[in-house]
Amino acid sequence: MINALSYSLFSIGIVFWLWGTLPLIGHRSVLYKLHSLSVADTLGSMSIVVGLLLRIPREWPLLILALISLAIWNTVLGYVLAYCSSHGGGDV
Amino acid sequence: MIGYLDICLRLIIWFLLTADFSVPNIIIGVCVALILPRTSTTAAVLKDWLHVFWEIIVAIPKAYAEALEMFVRPHKHEDVTLERVKANRTPGLIFLDIFLITFTPKTIVLRYRDDGWYEVHWVRRRRRK
Amino acid sequence: MNFVFFAMFLILLIPIYEAWQDEYIWQKMLAFASIATKTSIMILFISVLRDDWMIGVVGVIILSVGNAALMLLAHVIRRMNEL
Repeated sequence: MINALSYSLFSIGIVFWLWGTLPLIGHRSVLYKLHSLSVADTLGSMSIVVGLLLRIPREWPLLILALISLAIWNTVLGYVLAYCSSHGGGDV
Repeated sequence: MIGYLDICLRLIIWFLLTADFSVPNIIIGVCVALILPRTSTTAAVLKDWLHVFWEIIVAIPKAYAEALEMFVRPHKHEDVTLERVKANRTPGLIFLDIFLITFTPKTIVLRYRDDGWYEVHWVRRRRRK
Repeated sequence: MNFVFFAMFLILLIPIYEAWQDEYIWQKMLAFASIATKTSIMILFISVLRDDWMIGVVGVIILSVGNAALMLLAHVIRRMNEL
């Protein structure tokens, strides 16, 4: 049961990764790619980590820390990249 | 009143890192949390903080819902809007607001302006008039 | 589990390719940010795969000191462009 649940979380994460990373190759603006990367790298990775959490519940404190820092760092990096690339860094 | 939220935050991080509830560890954690330097900004109202934390919890399923929406229907158009910052926000709360907006995949804060506006970048399904 | 890991590895190739082929610096930065997150998640995943939690601790540490360097680099590049 738990195995099936964690596998489905993994596959959700992988699908998000794939879907969010593919637009990187195309010719869109940095900000557009940033939106899809926030789907892939924040939400996809979060669901993968939750899947891992179901597998090894005894390590929950570190995995929760990983989840929190993943969410915070990725969104803040998204903000910083958006800010830096659109102000002062030439046109997108 | 001075920054007890700060201390709570440090203690939470400490216990998540060490995962050890023995007495010496608790003592070390409390000491470190008290010793670390703190900024002397005005303390925010606890109610605002609780409100923001509640919004963060709500934002997680909302972010997944938006991701699914972008998944099903392509959002091709980009757009920049301005949003007003709520009154009486301390820097910590502004940080959390920016975090909240950027966390959901359809919106990214481009910039926080000193005169009290965020520039928010959107992806949309169709061009807005 | 091995299959999941293989899929992750293949997806990791996409930002690496992008970082190699795009000349524009912010696109490169995006690709590097993506690589950073993906590899640290993969480290966590390997630690579960091999049941070796010491690797996992490394992954968690990388995640939590995280992208600080990339943020600094972004600011440096912005300043350089302003000059």
